[in-house]
Amino acid sequence: MNRRSVLVALGCAALLSWMRPAWSGDDIEVIEARLDASSPEGAVTLTAEIRLALTETLRDAVVRGLPLYFLTEVQVHRPRWYWFDEALVATQIEWRLSYHALTRQYRVSSSTTSEGFAALEDAIAAMSSIRQWQVATLPMFQTGIVYDVRVRMRLDTTRLPKPFQMTALTDRNWNPQSEWKRFDFTVPTPTSAR
Amino acid sequence: MEAVRLHRPDPDKRSVARALRLSLIVSVALAAVLLTLLAVASGNNELFQRHYGLVLWLNVAIAIGLAILAIELARRLYLRFRRGLFGTRLMARLAMSFILMTAVPVLLIYLVAVQFLGRSIESWFDVPMERALESGLTLGRTTLDSMLVDLTGKARNAAQQLETVTGASLADRLNELREQAGVQEALVMTASGRIVQTSGTRFSTLVPDMPSAAALRQARVTRSYAAIEGVDPGGIVPRGTITGLKMRTLVAMSPASLGEEVRFLQLLHPVPGALAENAEAVQAGFRDYQELSLSRIGLKRIFRVTLTVTVLLTVFSAIAAAFLLAGWMTGPLSMLAAGTRAVAEGDFRPVKDYVGRDELGVLTQSFNAMTRQLEDARAQVERTRVGLELANARLASVLSNLTAGVIVLDRDYRVSLVNHGAEKILGATASRMAGQLLAGLPGLAGFAPDIQKAFEEAGDDTSQGWQRQIAIDAPTADNTERGSGKTLLLRGAVLPEAHGDHLLVLDDISDVVSAQRAIAWSEVARRLAHEIKNPLTPIQLAAERMALKLGDKLPAGTDRDMLMRSTTTIVNQVGSLKVMVDEFREYARLPTATLAPLNLNDLVTEILSLYADTDPTRTVKVHLAPGLPKILGDAGQLRQVIHNLFKNASEATEKQPVRLLEVFTAATRAANGQINGVRLLVRDNGPGFAPNLVARVFEPYVTNKAKGTGLGLAIVKKIVQDHGGRIEVGNRPEPFAVDAADGETVAQVADNGEVLGAYVNVLFAKLEKSDDNFIAPTTQQQEPLLAEKSSPARS
Repeated sequence: MNRRSVLVALGCAALLSWMRPAWSGDDIEVIEARLDASSPEGAVTLTAEIRLALTETLRDAVVRGLPLYFLTEVQVHRPRWYWFDEALVATQIEWRLSYHALTRQYRVSSSTTSEGFAALEDAIAAMSSIRQWQVATLPMFQTGIVYDVRVRMRLDTTRLPKPFQMTALTDRNWNPQSEWKRFDFTVPTPTSAR
Repeated sequence: MEAVRLHRPDPDKRSVARALRLSLIVSVALAAVLLTLLAVASGNNELFQRHYGLVLWLNVAIAIGLAILAIELARRLYLRFRRGLFGTRLMARLAMSFILMTAVPVLLIYLVAVQFLGRSIESWFDVPMERALESGLTLGRTTLDSMLVDLTGKARNAAQQLETVTGASLADRLNELREQAGVQEALVMTASGRIVQTSGTRFSTLVPDMPSAAALRQARVTRSYAAIEGVDPGGIVPRGTITGLKMRTLVAMSPASLGEEVRFLQLLHPVPGALAENAEAVQAGFRDYQELSLSRIGLKRIFRVTLTVTVLLTVFSAIAAAFLLAGWMTGPLSMLAAGTRAVAEGDFRPVKDYVGRDELGVLTQSFNAMTRQLEDARAQVERTRVGLELANARLASVLSNLTAGVIVLDRDYRVSLVNHGAEKILGATASRMAGQLLAGLPGLAGFAPDIQKAFEEAGDDTSQGWQRQIAIDAPTADNTERGSGKTLLLRGAVLPEAHGDHLLVLDDISDVVSAQRAIAWSEVARRLAHEIKNPLTPIQLAAERMALKLGDKLPAGTDRDMLMRSTTTIVNQVGSLKVMVDEFREYARLPTATLAPLNLNDLVTEILSLYADTDPTRTVKVHLAPGLPKILGDAGQLRQVIHNLFKNASEATEKQPVRLLEVFTAATRAANGQINGVRLLVRDNGPGFAPNLVARVFEPYVTNKAKGTGLGLAIVKKIVQDHGGRIEVGNRPEPFAVDAADGETVAQVADNGEVLGAYVNVLFAKLEKSDDNFIAPTTQQQEPLLAEKSSPARS
């Protein structure tokens, strides 16, 4: 075998192993998630329960004032046998968890809310349960089709300051993320909706 | 085989090399861009900060690509080295030098930089700094806390006063109390969060700043809540809230009557601007410091990784560039090597001009100039050689065509070169003479000591030679009768060369000597005839007169008879003397021939008619070849020639019992069949020539006959020579075939040495010019007068 091809293969393997997404740990877990299409306005909402356990490293970072950004992502795919699945919905909530040392308050902000908490656990709890989050509208779905829904939550490492990004590449403590929680979703028939 | 092998890049390899070069350039350019990005991303740029990982990975990929390129180039160099291509050693050395020159300093700087970075980052963090920041933060907190306690006290006070107030007066009372306390906003609400009454100085908004659900919950449980609230600078600000730091306190008001809902009084007041600002600044500083101290490991790593990637990119680029640069620099050398080898093989085509303007270009141009000069020089040498060869060929041709003999002798007097003339003169072939000593040469054997002595006397002076005349009588192979007696003029010289070769030139001057003798004789004859003829007539007249006058006076008898006899004898002898003198005069005063075309056969017939019936004992046979070309001749002189010859033959046979005279005419032909002459042969069956006379028979006064002047053949020869012909005499049988006119060869008696008679052979070479028999005079000698015929019995 050619020496050069061996070298190329080795290089590619090394590159791939380095480029692989960081390990998925059990720090975050989507316990339960469901889509609800029963609202009268025709909105399809997500309700999810997530177990979010910050590692000591992240806790320390938060306490020292480093803002952390968490993402709760939802994707709805329509399966297609002949091609890649069609991405129908891909949306996310960005949570910002920060600590205000002067007031000793933990603050959780998203695009819509901003809330202060005296305890870190309360702040985490605020992020880990999602109620009635509208991710789509009913007309986007067709009846009789089984849609593939995925939900996950992870730390947005790209929003970390640069030195931590470097660390996050190799340190799983700095890169918590949950597995995709997958479940099927079918639109209820119009008769049952009414 | 392994001496010098040239790298002749074929198009395929050249394209590969070009691809490698291109990939290097692209890689280096990419690396430069990415390194810039990496450096920028290392700074505080939001965009690159988000894509830092990607940029880093791209850099690593480029570094790997460059490494592969460098390894590939090194492999190619190694392969070329193994194949022993010319210039590889130099190329390897150059590449190594370049690599060392770039890689070592870069690595050195890298190590120092990494060390320095680690130290300097650690030095940012120290305990006093952290303590100061913490103290500042604590100070801010304490101040805020005391202000909060103060506000809470005011809230309790106001709550007590408001407990009993209900209804419409609540608003007035609340306003009053709020102004008393100097608080920005006051609010009375139910436990469920329903607003009962508000009072505030902010008119910009109608929505009051409500406590959070958690705060309300706490207030319900503990009957009071006090906190300093700040808005997260990174987060969103809900509508209606006070921006900046603010103090919020909630105090439960005891219900005025049982069963009435518990109400809460909320006082809201912003922290004074300057204080809030400073406290926030301290807090921000503390936070940044904490972040930095938390990130120092990552920071160190990021710098280290950036530096490492930079170093790798630089080093690999340097290596790849070194290989390519070395190849680029040694390329012209390979080309020159190819050119050198081509020149060694005799190919003087110039090598491709190197485009650079540096010394290599100059070298290439010089090389091309040199090859051009070499080619010119070679062409010059070639021309000279061809010229020499031509000159040699010319010389050889001249030598072989010289009638003079040329013999070159080496220092030991051995023959090293003999020309055709010498062969003829000495009668021996060149191959027989080559390598012989001088003493071994035929004819010259007896003169060898003399010749050597002459050479030695002449010494080494090449400018002057010596000259000597000798007479040799060595029998030649072709002609016994004629061979005896040749007069040679020898000239010798030392060749102007270091070998000390000797040059010996032989000239056969027999003919010259003979001619000189003939001239001398004719002169003698002329004078003698003049001197003799004058007194002859008086002598004759005197004798006749004596006989006439004295005859009568003397008595008849013996005296008278004696007188008569004597006078008769005198008169007769004088008469014969006169005849003799006339012949001499004739010989001496022979007029020059006036040549005109004439038919030889007619001439012969005309003369022979005179001899036809004069003597019955004589038989004359005439063989005339028909269709002979006309010869150029003087009819009168030729008539004398034929007459003389016939008379000689007739006289020679007088004593034979059967007298036989034969006359032949025939055409002689050159090797190509062309007629180049006409032969006249007269022969008899007489006693033949005496052997000692044969060579000198044409000289005057040499005769076979008892009485005769010996001028007959001399005159014949003179005439024949005037006609440009040749004459020879000999004894029969002839050494050549005689063709009769009817084509039959006249039978010859077996060659047993017996003399059958004499012959005279005359060859006329000057013919009337016509298409079928014209020949150039120079080709005359192509047909020897006597065809070669060896007759060993006579030698």
